[in-house]
Amino acid sequence: MILPAIPTVLTVVVSRGQSRNPEKRGMESAITEAAAALPGVAVLDVPHLYDLKAADESIRTLRAIEGDLVVASWLFPRAAHWLLDRLDVRGQVGETAFDPEPDEDEEPAAEASEATDPRVIEMFPRSGRTIRCLDMRAADADRLNAEIRRIVEETAHGLDRSGDGQTDHASNGHAEPGNGQSREPWEGDAAQRVPLRLDETVTRRWYPVIDYSRCTNCMECIDFCLFGVYGIDGAETILVEQPDNCRKGCPACSRVCPAGAIIFPQHKAPAIAGAPVDGDEGFKIDLSLLFGAPDQTADPVAVAARERDEQLLLAGRAAVGLPDTRSRSKSKPAPPDRLDLLIDELDQAEL
Amino acid sequence: MTTPPSEGEDSRSFLMGQFRADFPSRLRYTTNHMWAEALPGEAAGAPPIYRFGLTAYAVRLLQDVYFLDWVVEPQSKIARRQSLGSIESKKAESDLFAPTAGELIGLNAAVLADPSLINVDLYSAGWLLEITPEGTADLLDVDAYLNHLEQAWPLAQRTIKGQV
Repeated sequence: MILPAIPTVLTVVVSRGQSRNPEKRGMESAITEAAAALPGVAVLDVPHLYDLKAADESIRTLRAIEGDLVVASWLFPRAAHWLLDRLDVRGQVGETAFDPEPDEDEEPAAEASEATDPRVIEMFPRSGRTIRCLDMRAADADRLNAEIRRIVEETAHGLDRSGDGQTDHASNGHAEPGNGQSREPWEGDAAQRVPLRLDETVTRRWYPVIDYSRCTNCMECIDFCLFGVYGIDGAETILVEQPDNCRKGCPACSRVCPAGAIIFPQHKAPAIAGAPVDGDEGFKIDLSLLFGAPDQTADPVAVAARERDEQLLLAGRAAVGLPDTRSRSKSKPAPPDRLDLLIDELDQAEL
Repeated sequence: MTTPPSEGEDSRSFLMGQFRADFPSRLRYTTNHMWAEALPGEAAGAPPIYRFGLTAYAVRLLQDVYFLDWVVEPQSKIARRQSLGSIESKKAESDLFAPTAGELIGLNAAVLADPSLINVDLYSAGWLLEITPEGTADLLDVDAYLNHLEQAWPLAQRTIKGQV
């Protein structure tokens, strides 16, 4: 019996963690299996996205996918989205049920003060397809699977309603799903569909990821980093050009970024690792200060300068101290961020 | 779970409740629960390289190790108690700190790829770091380490029970 071909509605990508924790491995399999059972869903199971390089098969496979993506990883959604973006797997940021609720009471102070500077994605809009990133730490497998089902149904409904397979993908010049487009075996008919697992050997990496929905191309980072990590592309836009020049563990450039656009997905501090600005998940009070860590209450620029000096000394170069204040004199004092608020709370707690 | 020192090897032990943690007498120890073993020197007069790993005491507190990560690279100077990375296990997660000041010479790639080596062979294949220490003041002999454990164990028990 030949089943009618079910066009691919979207692709679910599961990015495996670096940890051998059986609970995490179980979560990855549960999501992979549940997604593969959904009609119209192709499933791609890849190593940890942060460790992959552009030439790896996982990334080449991801780049060849044209439709919507749902990406489940052990990363904050913002980190996963812009990590894919830098690997040229691009699209619009899609909403999910796990996005933080917008806080009505809170003044959008940071946005107001930066309102005059256009963001890089406003100058270079991404394609119309949608990429929804799910953090596997955000919920249990049942809730994540329910959300993936909801997204698949919503996307399939959107494809039906647009009629004759006409979707907004057409505006990007992409082939229509299921419309004579050649398909890989793993994204064929639902009846024969199996998840594609890619298992290339990867090594641990450490480098910044730029959130271009925040980045204003101000070039503070390229001026600050003395290890040649940053560069500019043909359109004079900042990019992470030499990621492997980055100093392992050093997050200093993310502290000097006036737009908070630089993510180190593996950093311990959730705010640096790309946590949602208004979300409380993953935020814990860091008691390192009580246990003898260097003073973090200092100006973030001073902390960044200290971290950079540490790395310069480790690399056998001379320390340079605080950055030139001229380039920063025009920037207004930053509104209190989450770290300030946490430290205020800590002070009040009288630990 | 952890391999005992090989037959006939001189070792001392410490009771953690019902669990007996063994410590080979030939090794040196640090108060942050790492063992240290001098590697055979290549040339006379060259600064000695020590290999460091977690002691049976540390591994018992952690139990099955799932994940290990470093935030430092070899050929760099490290300060005593500098944060070097982190570890995640069945029972706990923790940052890992430098056992002593010196130069970081190497990291065990095998244990990074398969951290369960720490459980399988903690005093040998499960080694973590190689360091040329600035001095040997932090390197205790097995008896001094056992004295340290006597004092550290009550706090560890309260930590395990969430009373800290």
